[in-house]
Amino acid sequence: MILLNKLKKRLLFLTVLFTISLQSFAQIDGEALYKTNCTACHNIGGGRLIGPDLQGITERRDAEWLKSWINDNAAFRKSGDKDAIAIFEEYKGSVMAAFYFEDEEIEALLSYLANPPLEEVSVSKSNDFLSSEEEGMSNNTQLVIFLILLFVVITVLVSVKNSLKESLSQDTETVPESILRFVSKNRNKFIIGLGLFIFILYIIFNLLMGIGVVEKYQPDQPIAFSHTIHAGDNGIDCNYCHSSARDSKHSGIPSVNVCMNCHANIVEGTNTGKEELQKIYDAVGYNPETREYIKDYKQKPIEWIRVHNLPDLSYFNHSQHVTVGGLECQQCHGNMQEKTVGQVATMEELNNQENNIKDGIEFDHPTLTMGWCIDCHRQKEVNMENNDYYTEMHDKLKAKNDNGKITVEMIGGLECGKCHY
Amino acid sequence: MNKLFLKIGLFAAIISLASCGNDSSPGYEYMPNMYRSPSIETYEEHNIEEYNGLPVKGTISQGNLSTFNFEDNLDGYLLAGGNYNDKDNIIKGKSTFPSDFIKSSKMIKDGEDLYVKMCAHCHGTKGDGKGTITHPIYSAVPSYSNTKMIRRSGSTMSELNEGHIFHAITYGLGAMGPHASQVSEEERWKIVYYIQENLQNNLEIK
Repeated sequence: MILLNKLKKRLLFLTVLFTISLQSFAQIDGEALYKTNCTACHNIGGGRLIGPDLQGITERRDAEWLKSWINDNAAFRKSGDKDAIAIFEEYKGSVMAAFYFEDEEIEALLSYLANPPLEEVSVSKSNDFLSSEEEGMSNNTQLVIFLILLFVVITVLVSVKNSLKESLSQDTETVPESILRFVSKNRNKFIIGLGLFIFILYIIFNLLMGIGVVEKYQPDQPIAFSHTIHAGDNGIDCNYCHSSARDSKHSGIPSVNVCMNCHANIVEGTNTGKEELQKIYDAVGYNPETREYIKDYKQKPIEWIRVHNLPDLSYFNHSQHVTVGGLECQQCHGNMQEKTVGQVATMEELNNQENNIKDGIEFDHPTLTMGWCIDCHRQKEVNMENNDYYTEMHDKLKAKNDNGKITVEMIGGLECGKCHY
Repeated sequence: MNKLFLKIGLFAAIISLASCGNDSSPGYEYMPNMYRSPSIETYEEHNIEEYNGLPVKGTISQGNLSTFNFEDNLDGYLLAGGNYNDKDNIIKGKSTFPSDFIKSSKMIKDGEDLYVKMCAHCHGTKGDGKGTITHPIYSAVPSYSNTKMIRRSGSTMSELNEGHIFHAITYGLGAMGPHASQVSEEERWKIVYYIQENLQNNLEIK
């Protein structure tokens, strides 16, 4: 009997617990409401954005006032509330939308605003940016390490030999003496000399072939801008910032006003905090504290370092390739969205690019050399669909070719005058 | 013995030369004075005073005479959308400024392409305000098919007039910055037509 009673009590307890948890699920999530409707103009404890800071708003205003304001602030102002009119005057020009929330939604929102979670300090000074740049050792350091190792091995061997000689009471010798004796005693000097000669020739050849090749060139830029964060994590299209690639010769470096489209409001970076963004504000004259442009400020350009720079003797036009040819940026520039600052992509990287594999383009020459351009012009098929004006001519061209494939070469893509005029 | 030292020295010198392929330098060119002309190219330093590449003040480049003459403020926004503000009562109107660019299926198709490139990272490819940007400020973007919230135009998002959208793209609105430098007037019309045709009455999303 006692056992049964205990069981009953437990069951009762469980049901109560269950209903409570159900209720809390049925409640409207104030945080979600706040995040989907308010954060575009307000924040909590971070200063004013488009509208005022909402820190402690529920203490400053009573719930009824807030409800009327949020639901229809225009009607509320017309009803003659002095505070409401004062707020509107203070933020003149930015009108808040009328949200028409249900009563429960307002309650949930206000209870969230009354007890907002403590803001986590989001600046995790991670060194992602720096570490990714210093990946791998340069050839120089590898060589130095190799030479040091070699020297250590020789020294150890010589000291072993010396101790053996000492035990036989012969004359000992130092390290350089030992090396020189080995070389001068060697009968096959001629063969070694020839090998050395060929090796030197090979190096000189490589050196000369490297002239004019800019693969992997990745200079440090004045601002630690990261393509990984902007184009990769946030999925901003290349054309948003480099907007002139669509219709001009150059794929322009975005002017500061493009940065300010977002960074007038986002004043703290993920990796670098406020320091790097301040460089933008210094260039354009913006005060991130008051969120206002400084009047009569002498603006100065940000001196980005140009990465892709063809010689003057060749003509290249971005719009011809992006808009007319319909190429993806990545087909020539590699996966820029995975890199930090601009870099000339290597031939191998481009050959692994999915769009290049799809189009059947395989490069044989280093990026940005003439052979590289020609590689693509020989292989890239021209899209002739939906071009009503030249249909007849295109059909004739296709008839000339057995497999009906028209490459850039066949419409004059290898004519000297096309690029060198 | 001296000859041998010379050889070793030469060898070392060449090795160190060959291994100086540095990522922060563009390397060498065969004939720099042939590759780089003395004339000023785009994005090159110059010391011509007061030159910034912008059109001369008071001139209009050919084909760019605009029919859009509204100011960058609330009244301009309302007027562009055919509304006007009478003592804080927004009176709705129908008229809008004349467009040089007539709505066509080609315009709408181009508009989709431009929308995906220039707008979708904040407004979402479906226009529901759920773009790929994760920052809180740009994650509370209203949906184009919202029929509840009354915006500053005095109408809901799904009732926005083309003039409202055009004004917002040109001058910015709230947390959105002005995009006039990135999309030309014709491209703005394409985007406006695409939004009106496909996103404002999208029943799939609320």
